This record gives sequence, structure tokens and C-alpha cells, in this order.
Amino acid sequence: MGYLFDPDNWEWVVTENNLGFLLEAFLINLQIAVIAMVLALAVGLVLALGAIARPAPVRLAAKAWVDVFRNIPLILLILYLALSQPQSVRDFWSDSAPGFLPDALRSEFILAGIGGLVLYNSAVLAEVFRAGILSLARGQREAAAALGLSYLQQMRHVVLPQGLRRMVPATVSQLITLNKDTTLVSIIAIQEVVRSGRVLAGTAGNPFTGSGVAAPILHVMIFVGLLFVIANYALSRLSRRLETRESRRIATVRTAPRVSEAPPA
Amino acid sequence: MDVLTDNLDDFAAGLWVTTRLVGAAFLVAVVLGTLVAALRVSESRPLRSVGGLYVETFRNVPLLVLLFITFPGLRRGGVDINAWTAGIIALGLYTSAYVAEVLRSGVAAVSQGQREAGLSLGFGQVAVLRRIVLPQAFRTVIGPLGSITIAMIKNSAIVGASIVALDDILKEARVVNSATFQTTEAFFWAAVCYLLLTLTATAAFRGLEARYAIRR
Amino acid sequence: MRRKRPIVLLWLCVLALVLGACGGDDEEGGGGGGGGAAATPAAEVEQYPASTTMGKIQAKKQITIGVKYDVPPFGFKNPRSNAIEGFDIDFGKAVAAKLGVKPRFVEAISDNRIPFIMDGTVDLVLSTMTINPERAEEIGFTDPYFIAKGRILQKKGGGITGVEDLAGKKVCTVLGSTYEETLKEQAPDAELTLVDTYSECLESIQNGSVEAVSTDDVILTGMIIQDDSLELVKGEELTTEPYGGGFKKGDREFREFLNGVLDEYETSGAWAKAYQKWLGQYTGEKQEPPTETLSDALEAAA
Repeated sequence: MGYLFDPDNWEWVVTENNLGFLLEAFLINLQIAVIAMVLALAVGLVLALGAIARPAPVRLAAKAWVDVFRNIPLILLILYLALSQPQSVRDFWSDSAPGFLPDALRSEFILAGIGGLVLYNSAVLAEVFRAGILSLARGQREAAAALGLSYLQQMRHVVLPQGLRRMVPATVSQLITLNKDTTLVSIIAIQEVVRSGRVLAGTAGNPFTGSGVAAPILHVMIFVGLLFVIANYALSRLSRRLETRESRRIATVRTAPRVSEAPPA
Repeated sequence: MDVLTDNLDDFAAGLWVTTRLVGAAFLVAVVLGTLVAALRVSESRPLRSVGGLYVETFRNVPLLVLLFITFPGLRRGGVDINAWTAGIIALGLYTSAYVAEVLRSGVAAVSQGQREAGLSLGFGQVAVLRRIVLPQAFRTVIGPLGSITIAMIKNSAIVGASIVALDDILKEARVVNSATFQTTEAFFWAAVCYLLLTLTATAAFRGLEARYAIRR
Repeated sequence: MRRKRPIVLLWLCVLALVLGACGGDDEEGGGGGGGGAAATPAAEVEQYPASTTMGKIQAKKQITIGVKYDVPPFGFKNPRSNAIEGFDIDFGKAVAAKLGVKPRFVEAISDNRIPFIMDGTVDLVLSTMTINPERAEEIGFTDPYFIAKGRILQKKGGGITGVEDLAGKKVCTVLGSTYEETLKEQAPDAELTLVDTYSECLESIQNGSVEAVSTDDVILTGMIIQDDSLELVKGEELTTEPYGGGFKKGDREFREFLNGVLDEYETSGAWAKAYQKWLGQYTGEKQEPPTETLSDALEAAA
């Protein structure tokens, strides 16, 4: 305990640019999380629609795809993509990655990292969406059909708007998981916060490379862990607020069905 | 197919390591998760906050970071911990937060009336929890516990890929890959090994659910 | 060999940050090997026929050399000064001085160095490139200018005296490196800890979760520079990796020229100075310049 709370072991936080170094790397994790989440939401939605589609081959293929990729460890997917990525893909990315991207996102392995995150999370989200859509009373769709809406119109105007709203909590909790999983790309050498934490722990105490103030790996990793706890806690609070607002809105609609103003977005 | 048959020993060894790791971490997670769930539903506000803090911490921290804390971190702090213990503790702690949440909602699902009935029959607070609420709560949480176990099987691969470096399924597949350069085959068979474990766990929990289902 | 590269690179990216800065500190004591050669008066420079590679380089007034930017202490970019430094760089400067031209260093990573030579992007590659028959099919090699060795690293006083002592001990190396195979053959009873980067091996030996690390002595020396409580196990090496300079296949005149520069570099004591500057001062070891020829190296590899 003395070791953990000894102020000397925390001095690295206020030494030179150590703090900025870690925070900048943490930003990379958040960027990877946002990119992967947007893509995973889109792919997941397509997969979910596939899994409830009427043609049996489409439905079975989508279901099989989803079941396989959500039952494989994510780190296995990321490592496989990184190891099997053809030279041409790596060259393509290192040649044509836009210059405004940070170095970590121009890494030759970033496509494997984001690819793995998207494959895995889109499968998980597809399952969330499918359950959300199926939870809607069948009557909603039948009513929409009776009104003469086509399949796509039913989905777009009736099913998805209601279903998607119900999926907010599960989706946010998956976003938190995804945010944590961005640390896995450190294993394929992308310079995000865990890797930067390791560099810091390895070099800060050395007078040649760092400031001479040791940054023990225990303390660095506790700090990195705190960054995630804070960010993810904030996310889950946000989701809870959305949830309560949602239930309030539904309650309002029920008691006053003729409320005419638009619901809060 | 050769990649599997030629390296059957390696894959079997990895499967055994992953199984033991998950099994031990599951025990840690259930014990800790039960304790924390008890804190979360206790009458005392400070205890509830401690439980809440525990859950928010371990649910929001990446497993990879926990592994760095429990292995090199603790070793640097003078704790002579080995790779196995560090891996089991990290995976167990991480999972325990999810177990605690599932148990808490399971407890919440047991109606307040049951609790009051117990109290009026002269049971103490602890006895009500232990004899009336928890046994019922456990039944409703078998399904969610199954999902947690499957997540834990997948998460266990992070232990081997991290600095803890246990020779689990994924690690063995990577060793086979580096010797044979058959990347796709090696990873394919590793994926099959993981599916084998997750499907077994699914079947086991379905069986439990069927057996202990509450008949109403 | 092929598999090893990305992983070594990963590690080196990290170490480049680390060691680049060390190089900066050596600077005042430096100027040694390459600096001395670069100081050769221009008057002594021999003019070569315009048709030869040497003549063409002299006409351009500069020689382009592909080097590593991330393999301290052989070739690395110093993040503080932005200078390219290392053992390979010192030798490259000596080659440039012999021709009386300016050296221009460009980054040649393992994947692109052979194409760089074949398409003429560089005149010469000095990038910790192990001589082997497959590469000799594609490019020309100089005689070996450095022999890297597979070695074992332990904590000082760790009690390991040779590869046979590894039995029953935890030994770290990088997954997919040639040392995974080497250790399985030479120390079948060792308990291997396979990680992704050499920095993880360093952390593991520092916190005591492994008792030894094995890989190229050059990489192990980089670890000792960071932590002087570590030492190399003396005695027989596990493997031999002869490094050669690479150039366009079939350019015999250029090869003779380069081997001549290398001979002079070795006999004048510049080689020993560079060795002391980049390796010896950290390991306390002395090493003679390699005497093997290209054909010795190729034969040994075959």
C-alpha cells in the first residue's frame, strides 16, 4: 500500500509532458471507438434486416454470419486480420491514408484493428437490433401493411423509428464495451493509450530517455484505467438519462395522445 | 486439416489452459460478484455506494489494463504473483462486476412481499437474503450468467495475448502459425476451439435453466 | 525470417524513441568511427571512371544509402536532433568520404530495401541485413561487416552460463521470431514465454517473471543500455547473423570498391572505434572485425 500511495510514484503525472502524452493517446482510442461504432452500427443494421428478411437464404446467411462473429474472441479476429492482411492492402493504406490523420490511424495495421472491431461489434449489434425489432408488437407492422406501406416503408417509417429507440440502452452498453476493446489494437502495435502507457513506464525513469522521474507500470495503468472509467461512466449516465426521458415521453404520449409537437430527438 | 491433425497436441493443450483459466476465473467472479451484489442491495447507504463504486470501476476498465495492473504492476510493487494467478484474478475481477449487476437485478426481481413475509416470520435481514431472496434470484439469473460465461470465454483470449502470456488456445494457434505459415488454418481451428467451449457453455446453462425453471 | 520482421519492427518503433535519445548523449564523445573517416582530406579522393557506379556517384556528388531509422544502435533517427546515427551510419559515412561525396540517408525498412536496390532508389543499403542465399539471388552483397549473434540476457548474477542452463527456466522471446524455433531446438526444456514485443520481454525480466531473454545480441544490448542491472550471458552464441551491405546484383566493380573500403575501415581501427562507441561501452565486450568473406557467410547459411 505504501508503494501505491507513495507520492514519489505519482510524481510522473506532473512531470514534463507525461500527462499530455497519455491524454493524446487516449484520444486515439476514442477516435477508433467512434469510427468503429459508426461502421458497426451501419453494418449491424444491415445484418439485422437480413436476419429478419423473408427470403430464407438471406435470413439464414445473415444469422450464420452473426452467430459466428459474435462467438469468436475479438482479439483473435484482430490478430488474424493483422497477420493475414496482404502486402498490397498495407501498402495501399500507408500510401493513401490522408495526411490529416494522426500517425496511429495511418498505421499499416489500423485497417485490421478497425476491421476486427467492426466485424465483431456489428454482429453483436445486429443481434440487439433484431431483438429490438422483433419486440415490437406484430400488429404495428400488420397495421402498416394494411395502410399499403411497402416492406421498406414499413421498416423506415414504422418499425425502425420505434425499435431503434428501444435499443438505446443496449447499444450504449455495447459502445462502452467497444471503447474498452480499442485497447486491444495495442497488441498489433497501434500507438494508443495502453501502448503509450507501456512506453512511458519503460522510459520515463531513464535519465537518457525520460525525465528521470520513474513512472511505475502499476501507477501508469491505474491512471489509464481511470481514464476509461471516467469516459465510460459518463457514457452510461448519458444513456440512463436518455432512457428516463424516453419512458417519460412514452408516458406523456399515453396520457395525452393528441400531443402535437415533435418528440424530443 | 493437416494443420489441425499435425498440431493436435498444441491445440488440445491450449484448450485445456483456456478451460482451466475460465473455470477458475468463473469461481472468483461468482464469489466476488455475490458479495458485491449483497452490498448493492444492503440497507446501509455507505455499503451500497461501495458496491456501486466497485461495479462502475471494474465494468468500465479494459481487461487489458487490469492485466497490466495484476501482473507486471503488482510484481513491481513487490507482490510475487505468477502469470496464472494474475490472469485468473484480472479476468475474475472484470467479470465479477457483470455478475454483481445480474444478481442485483435478480434480487430486485424477487418481490418485496417475499422479503416482508420472511421478516414477519422472524427471519433476520441476512437470513431473508440467504434463504429466501438469493435462491430465487439465482434461478432467474441462470440465463444472464450463461451470457456472461460466454463473454468470459472470449475475453480469456486477451489474457494469453497480453504480457501475462499464458499458452491458451489463441497463443497455441499463433505458435502453430509461426511454424507453418498456415495463418488461416491455424486461426480457423482456434476459432473452432472457442466455439466448442462457448457452445458447451450454452448447452450447460440451457440445461440448468430447464431444470431450475420457476414453474408458475 | 519473414515472420520475424513485423514484430521486430514493432518493438523497434518503441525502442527508437528510447535509444534515439541515448545516442544524443553520446554525441560529444562521438565523432569517432565515421567522423574520423569523414575528415579524410578531399585531396586524397580518387576519381573513378565515369562508367562505373563510383564515377556516377561522384558525378552526382552524393551517395544515397538506405538505412534503418529504428534499429538502435545500428541505424536510428535521434528524435531530439533529427540526426541519423548508428553503427551502419558510421560505415556509410566512411564509404561517402572515400568517394569524396555527401552521404544521403533514406529509410529502408525490411520490406522495401531489396526493391530500393533493384530500382536504383538507393546506391547502397546498410540496414542490419543478414546475408543469406535467397537474398543473394536478388542483390549483391559485400563481405560481412558485422556478425550479430543470438545470445541470452539475464539479470546480473543470474547464474546462467550457457544455453544448457535454460532448462526449467522461464525464457522470453518474441512470438514468431527465429528464436522461438532456435530455443525449442537448443533448450527444449526451457519454459518459453512468448510475447509480441521485445519491450514486453524487457519488462518481464525486469519484474522477474522470466529469468532470461534470448534474441540478437544487438537488441539485447539495447536493453542493457536501458537497464544496467542486466547482462549478456558470455560464452557460445545460439545463432550467427552476418550483416552485409547490399547493392545492385552483378556490379562487380562496386563490390570490390566497397570491400576495399571495408578492409581499410577494419584495419585502420575505425571499425573498432565504432564498435566501442555503439556496443562495447555498454556491454564491456570487445570484438574483432569479421574476417569471413561473402562466400563463407553464404556457405554457413546454406
